Amino acid sequence: MKSFMLMLSAAIFASCVGAAYADPASDYGRVVINNFSERAGMPAVVFDHWLHRGLYTCRLCHVDVGFAMEQGATNINKAGNFNGYYCGACHNGRTRFGDKAIFPACSDVSALGEKKRCYRCHSRGVDDVQMEYDFAAFTKALPKKGSGNGIDWEQAEATGLVKPIDYIEGVSIKRPAIKPQEDFAIHSKSTWMTDVIFSHKKHAVWNGCEVCHPEIFPMGDKGSVQFNMLQIYDGEYCGVCHDKVAFPLRDCERCHSKPVQ
Amino acid sequence: MRTKLKPLIFVAVALIAFSAPTFLPVAACAAQAVEAAPQSDWQAEFDDICSKTQDAMAMGVDELKAVLDRCDKLKVKIEALEGTQRKVYLRRLEMCRGVFAFALESKEKK
Repeated sequence: MKSFMLMLSAAIFASCVGAAYADPASDYGRVVINNFSERAGMPAVVFDHWLHRGLYTCRLCHVDVGFAMEQGATNINKAGNFNGYYCGACHNGRTRFGDKAIFPACSDVSALGEKKRCYRCHSRGVDDVQMEYDFAAFTKALPKKGSGNGIDWEQAEATGLVKPIDYIEGVSIKRPAIKPQEDFAIHSKSTWMTDVIFSHKKHAVWNGCEVCHPEIFPMGDKGSVQFNMLQIYDGEYCGVCHDKVAFPLRDCERCHSKPVQ
Repeated sequence: MRTKLKPLIFVAVALIAFSAPTFLPVAACAAQAVEAAPQSDWQAEFDDICSKTQDAMAMGVDELKAVLDRCDKLKVKIEALEGTQRKVYLRRLEMCRGVFAFALESKEKK
């Protein structure tokens, strides 16, 4: 028990030190994808997860389009994009967002103008990339909370400031709206930390069932799976998203929110 | 006869040469549409199975076993596809199947 507490304290301390030297909010949730890019003579892709997260549900990309939940695990390639899969499921020049078509991803054309389009995604280390969406401008009106990129996405959706799309014609499956799930408490093993109130309802609406079960949260030996903060800090369970693209683990009270009895 | 045919052959070759840039992208788009088109029988089966994942916990044990069996049969068909389509749909099917297996395990452990 002592060693567990020591390790946990060390993890929390490291997290606090990390926070002091953290990257700017705009970098939180940025994913660099470089399975093939540099080998093919292109800069690596810098994917703004915060932007796509504000426009689409998790399920749309990670279930319907099929992006893995781990950086680089999908092995996205040009041919796949070109044939309407992965990024090309939306970035095809035909799918519309609002009143405009979403620019196509990947092409065989290498004219100067086309290179500029390539650099909209393949942007690592490229100077003068003109991004359509700027983090500060995109998030200016959104409610703020905690650390990481500082956006309170739940509140942003509740107030109608973001309306994540959950369906793309030709990619998504037509299915009824998910039945509301009940939130539940996860018992904290520590005496100094309150229980977690897990927002199953919100997680289910954004993720569907498939994102979390059974890959991230499998069935445990006695029913519910048992896990601890060290595993989460190590990128398992909640740590698959939290501390990477969803709000960071140092915002303890956002999960451990059950009032002390 | 040969002299009469020569201009005709020239015109035909010229027509093909000039129209190719117009038709090739159209053909390419059509090929792309065929690859992404969700209308084949395996696709209908995929859509039907995977549209039920959110009801998995409400299904009975027999229902879950039946849908898992359908998943396994469908997997064989998807494995016969090629390239990215195969990879994407195998991954998507695996996720759907996982939910049903999760629900079945949950019921069997209760």
